[in-house]
Formats: sequence, C-alpha cells, structure tokens
Amino acid sequence: MSRKRISIDHLARVEGNGGISATIDGKMITDVKFTIYEGPRLIERLTVGRTPEEDVSMAPRICAICSISHKNAVIRAMENALSVKVPPKVWLARELMHMGEMIESHSLHCYYLALPDYVGFPNAIAMASKYDLEVKIALEMKEFANHIMKTLSGRFIHGENPVIGGFGKFPSQKELLFIKSRAIQFMPFVLKTVNLFCEIDYPDTPEEDTLYACCEPGNSAYGFWGDEICLSTGEKIARDDYPKLTNEFVVSHSYAKRSRYNGEPYSVGALARINNLGERLENEAGKMYRKYFNGRWKRNPLFHNAAQALEILYCFERIPLLVDSMLKIPEDPPIVEYTVKEGKGTGLVEAPRGLLIHHYQIDNGLVSNVDIITPTAQNAEDIERYCHIAAQKLLDEGQEDKIRDRMDLVVRAFDPCISCSAHMAEIKKAPADNWELKLSAIKRKGTPFYVGVGSSSQSDDAAGLELALRLRKSGQKNVALEGEFMEKWETSEMPDSHPLIFLDAVDFKAEPGKIILLPLQYVLNSTTLSHRFLPLTAMITNHSQMRRSYLLGVQPERITEGDDMSESVRSAIERIFEVITH
Amino acid sequence: MENGKLKIGIYELTGCAGDALLILDCEKELIDIFKAVDIQSFLMAKSDNIDGELDVALVEGSVTTEREIEELKDIRERSKIVVALGLCATVGGIQARFTDPKEWEANLKKVYGDKKMTHTNPVPSKPIDAYIDVDYYLPGCPIGKDQFLNFFNRAVKGSLPEKSQNPVCVTCKYNENDCLLKRGQLCLGPVTMDGCGSVCINHNIPCFGCWGPLEVANRTSEFYLLQDMGYSVEEITKKMANYSGTKISEFMTKMRKEIK
Repeated sequence: MSRKRISIDHLARVEGNGGISATIDGKMITDVKFTIYEGPRLIERLTVGRTPEEDVSMAPRICAICSISHKNAVIRAMENALSVKVPPKVWLARELMHMGEMIESHSLHCYYLALPDYVGFPNAIAMASKYDLEVKIALEMKEFANHIMKTLSGRFIHGENPVIGGFGKFPSQKELLFIKSRAIQFMPFVLKTVNLFCEIDYPDTPEEDTLYACCEPGNSAYGFWGDEICLSTGEKIARDDYPKLTNEFVVSHSYAKRSRYNGEPYSVGALARINNLGERLENEAGKMYRKYFNGRWKRNPLFHNAAQALEILYCFERIPLLVDSMLKIPEDPPIVEYTVKEGKGTGLVEAPRGLLIHHYQIDNGLVSNVDIITPTAQNAEDIERYCHIAAQKLLDEGQEDKIRDRMDLVVRAFDPCISCSAHMAEIKKAPADNWELKLSAIKRKGTPFYVGVGSSSQSDDAAGLELALRLRKSGQKNVALEGEFMEKWETSEMPDSHPLIFLDAVDFKAEPGKIILLPLQYVLNSTTLSHRFLPLTAMITNHSQMRRSYLLGVQPERITEGDDMSESVRSAIERIFEVITH
Repeated sequence: MENGKLKIGIYELTGCAGDALLILDCEKELIDIFKAVDIQSFLMAKSDNIDGELDVALVEGSVTTEREIEELKDIRERSKIVVALGLCATVGGIQARFTDPKEWEANLKKVYGDKKMTHTNPVPSKPIDAYIDVDYYLPGCPIGKDQFLNFFNRAVKGSLPEKSQNPVCVTCKYNENDCLLKRGQLCLGPVTMDGCGSVCINHNIPCFGCWGPLEVANRTSEFYLLQDMGYSVEEITKKMANYSGTKISEFMTKMRKEIK
C-alpha cells in the first residue's frame, strides 16, 4: 500500500498563519491535522496582574478582525465581575458597533476570501475583471462597516473608546443619521448579496451532522450576545458554566487549544447561529431565511458563506432601528463608576466566526485569573473532522486529485481566524470523563461489538483481553479477542452496521485506572496510541465502519513482564464490566 | 523591478493580523495598490503566492517560534528592503511581556503543561530586528492608514519617508484636546510615538502607548511626573511596559533600581 501525504502548508486567504494536511494510506485517510504555525502569545498570562481597564485594552489585541467582539466580551465579563450596570444608550451603542464588525468581517470573508473559490480566481482583485461591480460595491460596504466601527470605537481596529461602564465619547446626532441613511442605501445590494451566496451550488462533500452552539440572545430574538449558550439539541448552558461546553485541551501540533462537548466536536459561527436561531429572523432576513434554508444547512459547513450573507442582511435591517433608539435618548450617559475590587465574571459574545467567551477573576482590584475561549479554537476539531470526511469520500470516489482544493475550501468556509485561536489558557485538569454517557449514546446507535486488545503476559496490558473474556463468560455474544478479529471480520460475523469498540490498556498520561472512550479515528491521529491499532484497523477499509469504531481504554499503572495486574486497573475493568452488562 | 513595478511581499508572523488587515481596509486605494506594484505574496489576500526575490518585504508580527526565525531570515535574504509592520514586529508586541527567559518558560508551562510540540519549538517573543537588519519601521497597534499610504507612495518612487520623531502630544495639541495629564489621568502621550492622530485622547481616553515607545522621549521625567501625581511605581512601570515590548527593558530595570 502506498502512503502519501497531502499538505497545504500555508492556507491562503484566511486571517493568520496555518496549514492543513491529510495522510493517505492506501484506501484510508489515516490522519488529518489542522496545524497552527502562529506562535504562542500567552495572552491569558500577560493579562494577569493588570487592572481591569488595562485588560480591556490588551485582551482585544488577540485578534484584529474580531477586535470589537473581544472588546464587547471583555467588557461584559468585567461588568459582570464588578457588578457594573450600564444605561440603555450604552447597550445600543455597543450593539451598533458590533453590527459594524459583523458586516465588515462577513463581507470581507464572503467577497474577498470565499467567492474567488467558487468563480475560479486566485483573489478578489483578479476577480474584479469579471465581477467589477460586485467587488467595488463590496469594498464600499466594507468601508461603510469600518466607518461604523471607527465612529463608535475610535478607529477601525483596536479602538479604545468603549470602556467598562460606557463610552469615552458618544457619536453625534449627525454621525448617527449618516450611518442610518447609508445603511438604507445599501439594501438593494445587500439583498443581491444574499441571493448570490445562497444560490451558489455548494459541493455536497462533506455532509454530516454536527452539534451547533451559540449565544442565547433571549426574548425569542436573533442577536449576538446573551447570558446563556444554546445548543442545537435544545440544551442550555448558563454563562458561568461554559467549561461544560468547551472542555479545553492541548494537542501537540498546534498552539491553539481545542474543545469538544461530551467528547464530540462541535461548530460555532454564522451557520450555528442560523441553525439555532434562524427561525427568529424577521422582515427581509426572515423572508430570505424561509426561502433558502433547508436540511443541507444542518450538515454542510460550506453553507457558512450563505449564513454569513443572511446575517449581513439582518445587520443592515437592524442598524436603522438602533440609530432611531439612540436618537430617542439625547443625553449621553457618563461612564459608570464602580468601587468593587473583587469578583468573577463571564462575558458571552458572538464574534463573526462564532461563540467567544471571556472569563476574569479580580482580586484586590487586579486581574488574577483569565480564561479566553475563541471561536476558531472551538471549530478546530470540526475543521479536522469535516476535512477528514471530505478527503475520505473523494478518495472513495477515486477523486484523489480534488482532495487538496476541497480541504482548502472547507477550512476557509469556517472562516478561521488563526491569530485569535492561538489563544492561551491555563492548563486545566482533564474534565470528568463521561465515558458512561458516551457509551449509552453509542449503544443507541446499535448493539456494540467488543474487541479485547492487549498482551496477556504483560501485567496491566492484559486488561483489554481479560475484560473481553469476562464479558464472553457472562453470556455476551458480541465479543472477540484481538487474535480472532481478522477471522470474524472476514467471515462477516461482525455486522458492519454496528458500533465496534476496542477494549485496551492505553497510556494517555492520566492517573492509573482512569477510563476513556474516544472515536477511533482520533486515536489514530495520535502517534503514541496508533501503532497497536494500525494492524487491526487495516481491516476496516470501510469509512462508515471506521466512524462507528471507538476505543474504550484504561490508563495502566505499569506494563511489565508478568501477570500481576495493578489494583487500579483491576477495579477499572470491574467498573466497565458492570456498566456494559447492565 | 519588472515593468517598473516594485515586487512586494507581505508576511505575517505571530500577532493579531491587524496590520495586514489594515492594508485590506484601505478600500478606496486597494485596487490601485494592487495595480501599482507587483504583490508577490500576501497570504491573507490571495492564494497564488510566490516566494522569490523582492524589492520590499513588509513583515508583521513578532518572532515566537524557531520556524519563524528561519522564515524571517529567508525573507531578509531575498529582499532589498525589509519593513517592520506594526507593534509586534517593531517592539515584540504585548506578548513580549515576559522578557526574563525563566519567567517566560514558567508561563509557557502554565499554558501548555509539559506537552511537547511536534510542529515547531517556541521562543520568547522578540521584535524582528532581534534577528535581522530592518530598514524601516511602521509602528502602531495596528499601523495607521496615513502612515502606511505615505510609506507606500514613497516606496513606489524608490525612497523612504523620514522617521517620525514626535510624541502623540504634537498631534494632540493640533486637535485642541484638553491635556489629560493636567486632569490627573495616567496618559502616556509624551513618551509614545506619534501617528495615531491622538485618537484615544480625542475620545477622552488616556494614551496607552500602543504606538510603542518614542526613542527620544524624556521617559525619566514622565516617570517622576506621574509619581508626583500620586501613581505608584508599580502602576507606572506596568503601564509603560504594556506596549513597549523588549525596547525599554533597560530603562525599566534602571528606574526600578533608582526608585528603590
């Protein structure tokens, strides 16, 4: 079997510095890695020991293109921590500022970074030869959005006018009226933008369900912030409980941390918001949503671009309303002072590319702990997963030559902002692993087939085999040992529509006896864990079976010659045995 | 130079990509910029990028990995002029806070634990002139549109603009703002490079120093002035260091000693 590596070293037309690679091993894509070359910035460490005001200035420096979202998130978090309540005009001005960033970022992404792919040009300027008018008006739209940000925040990028408690200075009535009239002027082009991006013939690879997460704006309204996170399953998570969703961890090929919910990747961004909240859109945006939204939007990340176009429309309809509300309050409220010196607070905001979380702890008037979770860090796992799905499907169809460009397209659709994803958090303890929950979810998909892996003569490494034998003794039929696997596989004794669970002792650097349950394709991404599974998984050439395969592992205490299994591992297999058999 | 057009490359090391983004934010001028020069590489804007000989390389971001050191040296080798673009490239950025290698290592560990990185090794954040010769500096967090276009116009004609030696206060006076220092606020205008248009003070917000330290400023005098106003040494040194990267660490050490 030939082994080949497809690699896109520098992803063009994404903000920041990253690459993606896939390894093809015969008929399998064995490894997909979304690598971030952006170096470590330790933002969450260098904001410690600063005053809340200093951090409001410094934290948004994580990312230029989302600087307003970071600003709104850090201010929300600080105001929650310091119990600062601001008057309505401040909220209106913050929302208006946010609209500017949303339009700027989405129009930049849709017209400059994504559209050239679909019409076959290397960049937007080259595209201008054919799409002269679109490129020019899109530039004007972006300029207008920048103008909004500059008017409200002080400059295009990293404006310092918004502060804890309000604004240094509010825009004048004249400036606000100008914003309103320009917004109305743009409407015909905005509607055209929605038609253009919703009618693109997006390729149907990759398509697969995922979980979507975004802020719950409350009041059954569409919006870009809230005090809860809502998931496409209908679950809600309160703002201070955000680690339940994000469960951050570090991978060795990136300085950006990763997130999974219940062990599964999830997506954030415009597509997540449209999927979770699209029903709430009103007026033209509502009409367009009902015209274009369909089931494929739930499964295909390439529809991110269509969702962004819908949101541009939502923003343009919202701006005149915000301006009118601001004009009804002629008095500019002064910055709200505060005296509180301690507290903890979380700020949830929807950045253009998705859910952004800032969390601060303040002691003696200085910031003592910081946690920032950015959208691209949350999307990284799904970016890899969708690239994997796309690459495998194209390979199955004999279209290997298309893999490179398709992965490029998928990554770009997520609109990754790599500079922001290289964000830094404290190492946290591994989240309580809910393998039992995951096992019951797997069981709902079908009766699992268990395969014991290991070596009976090497202490803790016998765990997988011993567990399989005990299961078999207890009357479980769907059990095999490592040595029998090939035979059962070839004789099709294993129904290939059922989940396949490998039982094994694996060293994942946890305390002895800890149990994990992971999708097998992630195990194969890990060089230390993959070697022993490769001979077995070489049998699984079917991609859908691969996706139904899992590893149920126990952390060994020692692996030495001999048959004395450690106490911790023994009690772990006892526990697994009970859960499986009951 | 081919067809009389300058060959230009725009590169991003570690930072927020704000300087490259600001170039894209020159909406009115952008199409002309792309026409006036031959842009060989600009990852954020185009996908047909070539890494060849250049007349001008604009480098954004600070150096934080071994891979970036190699990349930077390669850019220097094939470029006639190298320009440091923005605060991270000129002073090391806010991420250059940990100038002591031991402190840096301890913080790196707090973030990433003992995980060994397989793709490239980290190094403490430094400005690009720590590794290569730099011909021109465009400061700012992010750079200013006017300063960039001024530079660009000169560069197209084969020269470089003079270096600005003014503090923020010069523009601030033109803008007829009330002096925030006189109101008792901790404003870094007098020790910070000019070019932002005194935007924060225009909005009643004191200067944070995000354009980086002005070389010729009388920093010692500002330091004592702020102390007389009642600010603690701790407060002043932190504020001054936030956006100064590795550039005034000697001054800081000196002041801390002197005051003790």
